[in-house]
Amino acid sequence: MRTAPSGPVLRARAVLGLAGVANNSMGELSIQDDVFVYSRHEGPTVRMPLSAIQGAFLSQEDKQVGGMPMALVRAATPYGGGRVIGLFAHKKYDFMTLEYFDSHGGLHGTIYQLNKGQGHVLADELGAKGVHVSGLEIAAAQQRLETNNVK
Amino acid sequence: MSSRIISLTAVAIGVAIVQFVLPVSALAEINRGPVPRWRVEVNPIDARGSSIAPEFKIAIYENLVTEVTKSKQFSAVLRSGDSSANGVSNLLILKTTVESYTAGSETKRAVTTVTGATMLKVRSQLCTKDGHVVLERVVDGNVRFFGGNLRATHNLARNVANALRLATLPEPLASGSAR
Repeated sequence: MRTAPSGPVLRARAVLGLAGVANNSMGELSIQDDVFVYSRHEGPTVRMPLSAIQGAFLSQEDKQVGGMPMALVRAATPYGGGRVIGLFAHKKYDFMTLEYFDSHGGLHGTIYQLNKGQGHVLADELGAKGVHVSGLEIAAAQQRLETNNVK
Repeated sequence: MSSRIISLTAVAIGVAIVQFVLPVSALAEINRGPVPRWRVEVNPIDARGSSIAPEFKIAIYENLVTEVTKSKQFSAVLRSGDSSANGVSNLLILKTTVESYTAGSETKRAVTTVTGATMLKVRSQLCTKDGHVVLERVVDGNVRFFGGNLRATHNLARNVANALRLATLPEPLASGSAR
């Protein structure tokens, strides 16, 4: 029986490692009770118990937008115009990496790409459910918090 | 009577041709039956003090599982911790240690072409369960021009799978050690 998500539903790209889902497919991430859910309009919904998640890591990366069509446009633009396009055609994304064990005890890893800022929302959700979340920015935020508390 | 002699002669010639054409090792395999193939368990990536990001470690691990499975060199490719590896005799363990990692930038690559390359170099070892190293290779995977940074992990895993495919592995013994 499906339950309503306990938190926000986030659009995410499953970059790799999700069993039964093609790499780089778009879908929606949510947490329903104690289950991490990745659903798509077409294809199967992947459910993962939060207890199976060994750790989560949040990071941020700059990526070029537009994919292959934009790369071709950049290459075809004369007088170095492609480089100028490349200078502006990029966007920051959050990346959430999850390590989890399957029912046989085998280690798996999945990487999700989210819009900037949404990674923190997901990290907070996972953290609230008891999943160990790490990442440079989270560590920095915790350090800031501790510094403020000391003051 | 003469037709029987002719047919026996034809059979004898056929056997002689088969023995001449087939290599001795192939004939030996036919006599012995199929040679048991190794199974492989892919271990998590050992960063060994490098500043490699966790998503790269996971991407290398997942791509290794995919590429080694695709190469069909092993009878089974198991993930680290998989319970089906327990009690398996003909098991090799694929250990990967990061030797060097240079973080790249997709934007730098798009703007300058010559800078911003993501470079990875790892040491891959195939070991038996008792720790005997069967094969050791240093393999790299880079992204210099097109594609995201994580593509370096795909290139690396493909190169590792190719290196394993080109290598000659010893035959497994019943005890799980290598011949």
